[in-house]
Amino acid sequence: MEPTPIIVLENVTKSFGSFQALRGIDLTVAKGQKVVVCGPSGSGKSTMIRCINRLEEHDGGRILVNGIELTGAMKNIDAVRREVGMVFQQFNLFPHLTAIENLMLAPHLVRKVSKPEARKIARHYLDRVHIPEQADKYPAQLSGGQQQRVAIARALCMQPEIMLFDEPTSALDPEMINEVLDVMVELAEEGMTMICVTHEMGFARSVADLLVFMDFGEIVEAAPPAAFFENPRHERTRLFLSQILSH
Amino acid sequence: MSFDVSLVFASLPEIVGGIGVTVQLLVLSLLLGLVLAVATALMRISRIPLLAWPALAYVYVFRGTPILVQLFVIYYGLPQFAFIQESVLWPILREPYWCAIIAFTLNNGAYAAEILRGGIQGVDRGLHEAGRALGLSPRQRFIYVTAPIAVRLALPAYSNEMISLLKATALASTITMADVTGVARTIVAKTFAPYEIFISAALVYLAMTWLIQRAVALAERRASRYVRT
Amino acid sequence: MSAVAGWLDDFLRSAVVILEVLLVALAMCVTWGLLGAAAKLCKSRIAFRIATLYTTVFRGTPELLVLLIVYFGSAITLTGIAQVFDPEVKFVDIPPFWAGAFAISLVVGAYATETFRGAFLGVDVGQVEAARALGLGPVHTFFYVRLPQMWRLALPSFGNHMNSLIKDTSLISVIGLEEIMYTAEMATSVTNRPFTMYLVVALIYLAFTSVIVAGVWALERYANRHLETAR
Repeated sequence: MEPTPIIVLENVTKSFGSFQALRGIDLTVAKGQKVVVCGPSGSGKSTMIRCINRLEEHDGGRILVNGIELTGAMKNIDAVRREVGMVFQQFNLFPHLTAIENLMLAPHLVRKVSKPEARKIARHYLDRVHIPEQADKYPAQLSGGQQQRVAIARALCMQPEIMLFDEPTSALDPEMINEVLDVMVELAEEGMTMICVTHEMGFARSVADLLVFMDFGEIVEAAPPAAFFENPRHERTRLFLSQILSH
Repeated sequence: MSFDVSLVFASLPEIVGGIGVTVQLLVLSLLLGLVLAVATALMRISRIPLLAWPALAYVYVFRGTPILVQLFVIYYGLPQFAFIQESVLWPILREPYWCAIIAFTLNNGAYAAEILRGGIQGVDRGLHEAGRALGLSPRQRFIYVTAPIAVRLALPAYSNEMISLLKATALASTITMADVTGVARTIVAKTFAPYEIFISAALVYLAMTWLIQRAVALAERRASRYVRT
Repeated sequence: MSAVAGWLDDFLRSAVVILEVLLVALAMCVTWGLLGAAAKLCKSRIAFRIATLYTTVFRGTPELLVLLIVYFGSAITLTGIAQVFDPEVKFVDIPPFWAGAFAISLVVGAYATETFRGAFLGVDVGQVEAARALGLGPVHTFFYVRLPQMWRLALPSFGNHMNSLIKDTSLISVIGLEEIMYTAEMATSVTNRPFTMYLVVALIYLAFTSVIVAGVWALERYANRHLETAR
């Protein structure tokens, strides 16, 4: 059975001024696949996934999401953003809205769902991330782990086909990382297509179908976890693994 | 409707003649106001109620009322009192020039006091602690640690206040003074060309504003030379 | 002090005029401020230059002068136009109320432009990114994400602008508006108590600015209520 490709990046390039962040990225992600992207800072990992929902505009190559090509056309961009959810390193929750209001905003405004219906959806996803009791709290009153879980729920309320995670646990205190990773594991087990930029190799090993190592704007190596960790083919991959797995 | 551009420039020399008065008002009020402001700021942050409360009242009143009103109270209002008219200060107090300076000084002093207070309180707690740990006396800490940093912090806001004062000097024209605005009003009364003349006057003020901003930019650069960007 | 008693209702009535001017000027000032900030923040170089010209000119020119230009300038223009139709006309002006409100709103609006611009820039970029990632369009993002956070940042400075506005209303007496300065002048010519009368004016203004300061303080507490961490 040929897995249906849901995200296709073809020779994608991107520069910031004179700095080339992406140098010809080719990647195909199938529906239901979990991809973990790792690499040193500055390697272009964040840039790549931010291109997928047009938070960055790629300069060259093609990006297709669920069959829709990402061009400058607003119609396409809107269509893509409805299918793709994003979780940020800094959470980016709206500080002036309560948790549940954060979740209700986009479904109400973008999918034109009625407020009562939006509230129902919001409650459902707050349950999903195991913090229903925090519904009426403001982000400032929540711990980092709780805020990130609210952020995940917020993205899920739009019922996306794909979830992008940009270093979701990097800004968290160590004791809160697991509560967020647990939610992500559950999401993975339910069949969500995920692309996750992270340094959490334990998570990668247990959840990922494909591990992608990026360096200097290129994909150096892409392999299933077993092959990736036991038999890295490139020297740079080996070097990176030794640095990141040593403690 | 013809706009006589030549009139704008032809009237400039006469208007520029008013700069002397404007600058005198500005400089004197700034200097006197600064002295008043330093004293007031210190009183404001003092823990002695007898010092702090009057300072607070002064700042509150002079920042909460319009300059024009303050000016009128002093120039038109004081002569109401016989004891003022008979006092030794009367020759000064009946001159529009000195009334304007007193009003502007008091007003500027109040605003500058709050700006200085902001600067003083903006100095990091850690620096005070370091000073204490080193054994510096409160007076030494204030002179060598707090004041230099407070000045740097206060400069932007203080430069705005200087420009506000410059603009306020225009009000002196309402009590018959021949500053830039006063001269302009006189010319307009003769020529009935408000646009040209007043725009000419506005250009003069803009030029003075620009000069002040350049001077402050230099001062800011000098004061921030040790700050890592 | 009994001299004041007879004039109390005149003062109160003219104080209301001040409030009316304030409301009109406030509405205009917020408009110029938002327009100016938008011009400075959008991508157009021309808009930026025009907005910068506006802020530079009106922050560097005395309010009194702006008032005089607006009032006398418009009067000359209007009179000229009217005389084309009816040579008998001596003097047509914009009522001092409107000329005054407009003039002071222009000046404070220049300061408000900078305040609003700084406040918009102060809204965390991540917020806007999250909104975009969720699919919110630019209009929704502006009203639901940027504006609510921007006004919280703008509030302290904007309170100062409101105070400036109300104090600037005193200048409009110079072009003949019958507000409290004018009442004080009348009262003085009758009672010969200038100090007392202008003191009353000062107290009325002090009352106004105090209310504004208290109001802004309360608004700041309301706007920041979601930031009080409860841990």
